Amino acid sequence: MGLPLFSAHSDPGPSFWHYAEAQGLTPTPSSKDDSPHATTVIAVKYVNGVVMVGDRQATGNYIVSRDVRKIEAADRFTALAISGSAARGIELLKIAQLSFEHYEKMTDSALSLEGKANYLSPIIQRNNLTSPLMVLPLLAGWDESHRVGRIFEYDGAGGCYERFDFATIGSGSPFADGTLRLGFRADLDLEAALELGALALYEAGDNDPSTGGPDFVRNIFPMMVTVDAEGFRELPSAEVGERFRIINERRTQTGGVAGGVLR
Amino acid sequence: MSNYFYVSPEQLIKDRAEFAQKGIARGRSIVAAIYDKGVVLVAENPSASLNKVSEIYDRIAFAGVGKYNEFDRLREAGIRWADTTGFTYSREDVDARALANYYAQHLGDMFTEGQKPLEVEILVAQLGNALRPTKLYRVAYEGTISDEPHFAVLGGDAETIRDRFALTEESLHSLKVTLQNASAALTGPERKIGAAELEVGILEDRGNRRTFLRLNDEQVSELLS
Repeated sequence: MGLPLFSAHSDPGPSFWHYAEAQGLTPTPSSKDDSPHATTVIAVKYVNGVVMVGDRQATGNYIVSRDVRKIEAADRFTALAISGSAARGIELLKIAQLSFEHYEKMTDSALSLEGKANYLSPIIQRNNLTSPLMVLPLLAGWDESHRVGRIFEYDGAGGCYERFDFATIGSGSPFADGTLRLGFRADLDLEAALELGALALYEAGDNDPSTGGPDFVRNIFPMMVTVDAEGFRELPSAEVGERFRIINERRTQTGGVAGGVLR
Repeated sequence: MSNYFYVSPEQLIKDRAEFAQKGIARGRSIVAAIYDKGVVLVAENPSASLNKVSEIYDRIAFAGVGKYNEFDRLREAGIRWADTTGFTYSREDVDARALANYYAQHLGDMFTEGQKPLEVEILVAQLGNALRPTKLYRVAYEGTISDEPHFAVLGGDAETIRDRFALTEESLHSLKVTLQNASAALTGPERKIGAAELEVGILEDRGNRRTFLRLNDEQVSELLS
């Protein structure tokens, strides 16, 4: 590839995606949906930021992988999670990471969190309306300009909606959603938000065959992430494992149900 | 019908070179130097927002002197080229030498075929790792590319500044010492400039993928004190 120089009237500006599309670097739609999908990812707001929890399983007709990372740092203050087609989801992650950094380098200023959320809309729309390989992301992050954690979810046509409490994506979301509806409060602190997120994911893993719950045999546990004024932080696997071990033991005592309290 | 006058190729090249040199000489200079832990790019720049030094990729930085609109377009093309190459292949395949060669070709083409040569001189700096060495590639207005050991000076008064700086740079120093020497070389003994008039960027391993860091005025004045 040569040096991509443009004259002022045809310059694609600081958007990597628009540039890549004009150059034919983004893939064309295919015709058959046989890639692994299904997921549960949860985002919960708490007083100082957001918590995200995601399962690790990729499912086709059988379990394809048990240790997929469905949540990634799109940049220092933004977490991006994916559900749907693994191929398209990972590509979306890559494009998002690259685009935010590209914008920052081109303009010497970072995109706002809302700007990042809106940026993904047309990419999702283009993908989902032209291809059966659906992808639905969930974006959560720390808004540096307004000093608050924010969550943005999308519909299949690329619509972007801000959520002021919590959001879930993937096949296990009805079960996670139920738990979150019962347990969410506006004044959740970090510990309470982590606990609620873990419980919601445990419920999804327990009820949805396409969501991987904690795997005590292989020591593979869901991903737990926080984004606050300090930036993106992933909890160590041992800490996450301990959290799920406690929930599992409580459930063992009450025969698999919560037993009257959200626990 | 218009009349064409014969101009010898020697005269044409000479005229174009003079034109480009004049344009470049109008601006302030830049010193780029390798220090013990990385690369520092020091530009004399009274503007806090119109940058002469910037990030291209994880381990690559760019510096330009001369006409701002011309080198800024080259900077943008460099970022696009690097991000596209990293997206298509892998982040580790993005090499400053390849980019410097593209810049050299473009500047060379513009010098011989363009309406007018570009009035810029640019530098592509690469912070080394296990795969690649630390390098400073200087590309002149007519496309001459040079691989500068240790340090490079770009801009109008390059010769004088180079001589002043060369006296101090026998071996690699700390960032503090290198920056002080660069600042002194840029101004000479007669002048003094403050941190606000210096634009400083470094490439240094700090445990992150991205190694470029723009130093703010406080950081610069602390290093200069």
